[in-house]
Amino acid sequence: MATLPACNRQDQQIQQHKEAFESLGATTEAICEAWLAGDVSGTYTHTALAQTFLLVEKERTALAAAPEALLDPRGATLSQQAEKLSRTLAALTADVSAADADAARRHLAEIPTKP
Amino acid sequence: MSAIVDLILGVVTSIGGFVEVGSISTSAQAGSEFGFELLWAVAAAGIMLAMLVEMGGRLAAVSKRSLAAAVRERFGIDFQIVPLSAEFIVDVLLLAAEVGGAAIAVKLLTGIGFQWWILPIGVLAWLVLWTCGFAVIEYGIGILGLVTLCFVVSAWKLGPDVADLGKSFVPTLSTHHHLRYAFLAVSIVGATVSPYLLNFYSSGTIEEKLKVEDLWVNTTTAYVGTMFGTVVSMGVLVSSAMVLGPRQIQVDSYEQAALMLVPAFGRWAIGLFAVSLGIGCFGAAVEIALNAGYVFAQVLGAPWGANKPRLSASRFTAAFTFVLLLSLAIALIGFDPLRVTMICVALTVVVMPAMVLPFLVLMNDDKYLRDHKNGPFRNGFLAVLTILGALLALVVIPLEIFGG
Repeated sequence: MATLPACNRQDQQIQQHKEAFESLGATTEAICEAWLAGDVSGTYTHTALAQTFLLVEKERTALAAAPEALLDPRGATLSQQAEKLSRTLAALTADVSAADADAARRHLAEIPTKP
Repeated sequence: MSAIVDLILGVVTSIGGFVEVGSISTSAQAGSEFGFELLWAVAAAGIMLAMLVEMGGRLAAVSKRSLAAAVRERFGIDFQIVPLSAEFIVDVLLLAAEVGGAAIAVKLLTGIGFQWWILPIGVLAWLVLWTCGFAVIEYGIGILGLVTLCFVVSAWKLGPDVADLGKSFVPTLSTHHHLRYAFLAVSIVGATVSPYLLNFYSSGTIEEKLKVEDLWVNTTTAYVGTMFGTVVSMGVLVSSAMVLGPRQIQVDSYEQAALMLVPAFGRWAIGLFAVSLGIGCFGAAVEIALNAGYVFAQVLGAPWGANKPRLSASRFTAAFTFVLLLSLAIALIGFDPLRVTMICVALTVVVMPAMVLPFLVLMNDDKYLRDHKNGPFRNGFLAVLTILGALLALVVIPLEIFGG
């Protein structure tokens, strides 16, 4: 009985992290799509992707701050997806710097945390 | 004729000067997370603000005293130190957030880190305060701020369902994330009813030498200007709800918020967002610093006014310079401007009763208002607002700490 509220709290926390990563995945997609469509400049895209990367890292740190969340299979999967999102963001930032639209499209399809 | 010109300029300024760091952040977050559901909060906050600034202007026009000067005279400095300290803390933090918001706007355009722009923006704000008169500060920034109408154009171009919009003006409980919903509702009120606006508006009324027979100009400007200004905030919320909401993008940065204008403006979107954010925040920063000068000089009984030579109003000048420097120091520490904004918004709600209670007493004092005292409706409104402020504060603090 005593573990029930703790479980609920953990569920809530994992759900919150999941929503945050999905939001950041969707943000990455929206920024890159706008860049590929020619709607936003490379300068903005670079800045926005760098900011999104920082937010992903912050959220990853918050997730890792609760070891019990990482023991939960959902938390562990989320942690792996978040790491992949970070790497995809790094790759996309490099694509934008090199103005390589084809590579950006390829990496865009690899975003692991979409809603 | 002069009154008509004053009215038009006042309304235009209210529209252009309405949107700043708090309203953009809270409306963008509300729209992206809850669709149109929190439009009622924007409308309610707009009504509150309109009524409060009208009262501030009326007090100043009739009594020839600003709100801060009247509170000092009526209650004494021993009492005033409490609301004054509270307002000082909120204003310094809000000023830091506004400078940070303006710096992020430049970052969006240049790609250069926002910390690099804080000092230049601070210097520019100080130069504006040092060299410009009240009309240039108020009307100049307000007219430039008309660029924020791009949010309304965006919302209109996105074609929201009118029935859905209409339904959102009725307060309802959200179907999900109740705590977050309540926190954002409170934040919207806190972001709109900033304490500095009340004294700034009453001081501005004195600067403009508004006569009692022209009180209708004050009333019309307060209500019409705030109504149109509120529509701009609603434009932010609707654009965010229709562009970011469906993609489930929660606004945690201004870079994300800027995307809301892309469907409506294409390649102009980021530039328009950055210019809107920049002008809105810079204008608010100048007004907050100017109001700090007003308040300190008024409380000390020293000469004040944006139309006075700065060296002849030394305490007024020293006060806005000091507050600006303090805020720049906070901004330079390397904070997250969005986070500071949300803290300011919560603090605003906390200090609201301390601002409103003395205001309520003043607005019913024959000595100050003569035949222009508050009626029962306005008194009731202020009383409800004060209680609501205290209750909201009780809700918002634990929410901010534990669940916000």
